Amino acid sequence: MPAAEILVSQEPADRLAAVAALRRLADQLEDDAVEQAMRAGWSWPQVAEALGVTRQAVHKKHAKRLIAAGVTLRRR
Amino acid sequence: MAAIDHYINTIIDQGGHEAQQDGSTSVEAHHLLLAIAAERETGTYQVLTSVGLDHQAIRDALDKEFEHSLGAAGVSLATFALPRPSSAAERPTQMGASAKLALERGFASVSRKKDLRPAHLLLGIVRAQLGTVPRALALAGVDQADLMVRILDTLPDNDE
Repeated sequence: MPAAEILVSQEPADRLAAVAALRRLADQLEDDAVEQAMRAGWSWPQVAEALGVTRQAVHKKHAKRLIAAGVTLRRR
Repeated sequence: MAAIDHYINTIIDQGGHEAQQDGSTSVEAHHLLLAIAAERETGTYQVLTSVGLDHQAIRDALDKEFEHSLGAAGVSLATFALPRPSSAAERPTQMGASAKLALERGFASVSRKKDLRPAHLLLGIVRAQLGTVPRALALAGVDQADLMVRILDTLPDNDE
């Protein structure tokens, strides 16, 4: 879509709601991408480096969910 | 345990379930609203359905609000083709900022705790002027002021 056709709101309420929605979308994208990478055999340090966070952070955030989803995880 | 305590526990517990389904790490006001809509035995459920808000209609309105809000930043959800978020591994118990505000507003509606009714809880959620809930209600075509009047009408003395 050409940039001129994208209607970006200038209303504060819309712009602030957009920030909240983008954070939620980023979380969903992260959940999906991390799960895909771990299913493909990536290690925690690789995923952490790609995301730009510590491996402890990525492990803490995703390990339980991925184990519950039946993903086989490589050692940290 | 008083009936209202039992009701509050049920709504918070069900709100946690809704948050988990959403992949959310905390319980937010819209999760409490979904929880109230899931409790079919209460008058609050009937008030919600009287304006067309059953559980599915609220869920649809929230999805619409998400898409609409992303649109305000020029982002189309359709571009991402994301699967529905996988559930959080554990049921969240932590209240998010919007849920805390909603509960505070609900509790502040009465001067004595013994006067607290399920309708006050719903009122606390619906009274928000900013955030996900009022935006979703507006997108669903619900008149927020009318809904608040309907909720107040269910209270014995209508004295808040």
